[in-house]
Amino acid sequence: MVRFPRRRRDRSLEQTAADPLLSVDRLTVRFGGLVAVADLDLDVEQGAIASLIGPNGAGKTTAFNCISGINRPTRGTVRLDGRRVARPFTPVAFWGIVAIGLLTGLLVAAVAIDIDGVWLAVVKRPMAAGEPPRAATLGRRLRSYFRWELAVDRLGASWRVVTPDGREVVAIRRSREDASRLRDALQAAVTARRAGPGTVPEATDFGDAADAVHAVDGEVLDRLAAGKRAIRLRGWTALAAGWLVGAAGGYAVWRRGRRSPEVVAAAGIARTFQNIRLFEGMTALENVRVGLDWGHRGSRRIDDPEQVATEILAKVGLAGEAGRRAGELAYGDRRRLEIARALATRPRLLLLDEPTAGMNPAETAAVAELIRQIRDSGVTVLLIEHHMQTVMRVSDRVSVLDHGVKIAEGTPREIRRDERVIKAYLGEAEA
Amino acid sequence: MAVPHDASASAGRRRRPVRWELPALVAAAVAPLLVPPLGGGLGGQVTILFIYAILALALNVMVGFTGILHLGIAALFGIGGYTAAILTVPTLPFGWPFAAAATAAVAVAAGAGLLLAAPTLRLRGDYLAIVTLGFGEVVKVALRNLEEITGGMQGLGPVPPPGAALEIGGIDLGREFVVDPRWFYWLALAALAAVVSGLRWLEGSRLGRAMAAVREDELAAAAVGVPVGRVKLAAFAISSAIAGLAGCLYVTSLSTTADPNTYDFQRSVLMLCAVILGGLGSIPGTLAGVAILVGFDTVLAPRADAWLQQVGLNTTGSSILSFSGWRLAVFGMVLIVMMRFRPEGLLPTRRGAGKLPPAAGNSEN
Repeated sequence: MVRFPRRRRDRSLEQTAADPLLSVDRLTVRFGGLVAVADLDLDVEQGAIASLIGPNGAGKTTAFNCISGINRPTRGTVRLDGRRVARPFTPVAFWGIVAIGLLTGLLVAAVAIDIDGVWLAVVKRPMAAGEPPRAATLGRRLRSYFRWELAVDRLGASWRVVTPDGREVVAIRRSREDASRLRDALQAAVTARRAGPGTVPEATDFGDAADAVHAVDGEVLDRLAAGKRAIRLRGWTALAAGWLVGAAGGYAVWRRGRRSPEVVAAAGIARTFQNIRLFEGMTALENVRVGLDWGHRGSRRIDDPEQVATEILAKVGLAGEAGRRAGELAYGDRRRLEIARALATRPRLLLLDEPTAGMNPAETAAVAELIRQIRDSGVTVLLIEHHMQTVMRVSDRVSVLDHGVKIAEGTPREIRRDERVIKAYLGEAEA
Repeated sequence: MAVPHDASASAGRRRRPVRWELPALVAAAVAPLLVPPLGGGLGGQVTILFIYAILALALNVMVGFTGILHLGIAALFGIGGYTAAILTVPTLPFGWPFAAAATAAVAVAAGAGLLLAAPTLRLRGDYLAIVTLGFGEVVKVALRNLEEITGGMQGLGPVPPPGAALEIGGIDLGREFVVDPRWFYWLALAALAAVVSGLRWLEGSRLGRAMAAVREDELAAAAVGVPVGRVKLAAFAISSAIAGLAGCLYVTSLSTTADPNTYDFQRSVLMLCAVILGGLGSIPGTLAGVAILVGFDTVLAPRADAWLQQVGLNTTGSSILSFSGWRLAVFGMVLIVMMRFRPEGLLPTRRGAGKLPPAAGNSEN
C-alpha cells in the first residue's frame, strides 16, 4: 500500500478510508519462555467483519487482550486509524506528576524536620507565653525554628532553656526572667560559635548569665551551633528525596496506565469476553447505561441515555429483560447483553471473543445476523470464533493463527482451501 | 440503586419513590418533643447512634458501593475529629466556629483518604484491605506520638459546643447545646439526613453506577471505559469525607477527642459488622445494622444492667452477672446466626451486592 504522509492523509477523505481502521504491527507477547503471539501483523479495514481463527491455544485471546489494553505486548504496536492508542503526555499529566512529587516531598520533610516540634515552636509555645500567634509573627517564629534557636519552656514551677523542638533541656531556672536571660546569653554564645567572633554580642555582654554559659559544656554549644545546618540539611534532603520518589512513582503509575483498557475503550474499541463478564448484580439496563456513561469519548453526547439504552437493548433482542438482573438472564441473553454493553460505548471497532460459544444452531444463526447488522450500522467487527460455519458465513476476511504465528490470511473461500490451515486444524496425514 | 425493579424500562427515568426516609426523618425529628427521656441521657446515647450511623454509611460507600474492603475507617473518623478539635479548642489559637471547623474536618479527612488511595490504586482485594488496616494503625500511632499536636494519650479538649458564642434571637446557642441534649440530637439527625440523601443521589448517578460496575467486575468496567482508578479515588474521597464529618460530630458531642485508642481497629471492625449485618450496599440496611449493633452496645446494655440491679439479680455489681459483661458474646452469637441464616444481611439491596469483596485474585480474564 502506498503510504501518504500524515498531513496529506488528513486532507483527503478517500485516503483515510483506504487506510485500515485497526492495524496491528509485529505484535509479540511472551509469557516467560512461552511465545503466545509472534510477530503478528493484522489489518482490519473500515466497515469489514474480520475473523481471527485458530486451534485452541493459538494466541487469539492474547492478541485480543493486547489490542484492548488488558495485556501489555512484549513488542509491537496497535494503531487505530493510523494513531497509536495511548494516552498522550499532556501538561495536566506533567503538572500532576510534579504536584504528587511535591506532596510526597512535603510529607517526608514534615517527618524529617519534626513537625511536632514545629507545632510546639509556632503554635503552642507562643500560646503558653500568652501571645497567641498571628500571621505577622508566624514567619519570624518559623525562621527561628529553622535557625535552631534556643527557646524557653515552662514545666510546672520551673523554666527551662530548651532546643526549639523542646526535646533537649540545656538549663533549668526558677524564674522566667532568669531563664530568658540565660537563653539570650546561650544563644549569643551558640551563634558566635557558628558565625565566628565579633558578628554578634559576646556572651560576656550578658553579665552574670555569662557565668552560667561557661558552666555549659563546650561540646553542647558546638552541637547546638551545628543544629541549624543539620535541620536544614535534613529538611532539604527529605524534600528532594521525597519529590524524586513521589514524582517517579507518579510517572510510573501514569505510564502503566497509558494503554489501560479504559483508554482503549475511550478511544473507540469495545470488546466482549470469552467467559462472559457482566455486572451480574446490576440490571440489564444498568449494564448498558454504564457503557453509555463512559465509553467512547469522541462520540456525540447523548441527551436521553435511558431511551438510548432501551433502544440498544431492543436492538440485540433484550427489550423485555431491561429490568432483570444480568445474573438472572439465560445464557444466550447474557452473551447478547455483553454485546449490547459493548455497543453502548459507541465503538468504532468491536472485538467479539467467541460470541456464539455454547449456543444452539438457531441462537448461533441469530447472533451471526446480529453481527452483520452491527457491521451494517457502521461498526467494524473483529471476531474470534470456533464455529466455522459462522465464521465462513459472516467474515469478509479471515486470519488464521497457529502457535502464535499467523499462517494464513484471505477471504473465507481461500482459507477453506489453504493446506496449512487444514493441517493446523486436522493434523498431518500419517501416510 | 434507584432503578425500577419492574420490567417497565421507561420508569427508570424517575427515582424510586421515597418510601421510608421521609417518614423516618420526621418521626426522629419530633420524637424528642414527645418522648421525655430523649431530652436526657437517652438523647445523648441516640445522638452517638446517629453519629455511628454516619460513619457506617461512610464505610458502606467503600465496601458496599465500590467493593473495596476497608479496614481503617476509624482512622479517618479520628482525623476528622482531631482536625475539628485542633481548630476549635480554646487552648489553641484558632478558635474557628463549628461550621468552619466541620468543613475543614471533612476536607482534611477527604485529603487523607486520597493520600491513602493514590499509591494503592493498583492493589486489589485482600492486598488493599491489608493496606487500609495498616493505615488505620499508622494513624492511631501517629495520633499518639505527635504529642504536641494531638495531646498524646490525653487527647484534646475541651471542644466547645457548636454555636458557642453565637446568639440568635436572645438564645445563647452554645449554652443551649450544653444544657439540652436535644440540640445535638437534632444537629446529628440533620447531618445524618444530609448524608443519606446525598448517598441516595450518588447511587443513581453516573459515578454511582461506575462504582457498582467496579465492584461487580473491575476488568469489565475498565473495558467499557470506566476510569477505574479515578472512580476508586472518588470513592475513597467521598467515604473519607463522610467519616470526617462523623468524627467532627463525635468529638464535639463528647467535647474531647478522648485518647487515640478510640479510633482503633476495633471501631473499624464494629462498623464493618454493622454494614454486613444490615446488608452490603444498602442504606436502610446500614442504618438498621448500626441501630442493632451500636444501639445494643451503648443503649441496651447499660439499661439491662440497671434493670438487673434493680430487680436484685446482681446486687454486688459483678461483671459475670451483669449484662454488659456478656455483650461481646451476644454480639458474636448474633453475627454467627446471621451469617448462617441470612448471609445477605437484614435489608439487602435488590441488586444482591450482599457479598464481601472478592478475595485477591479475581483478575485476569
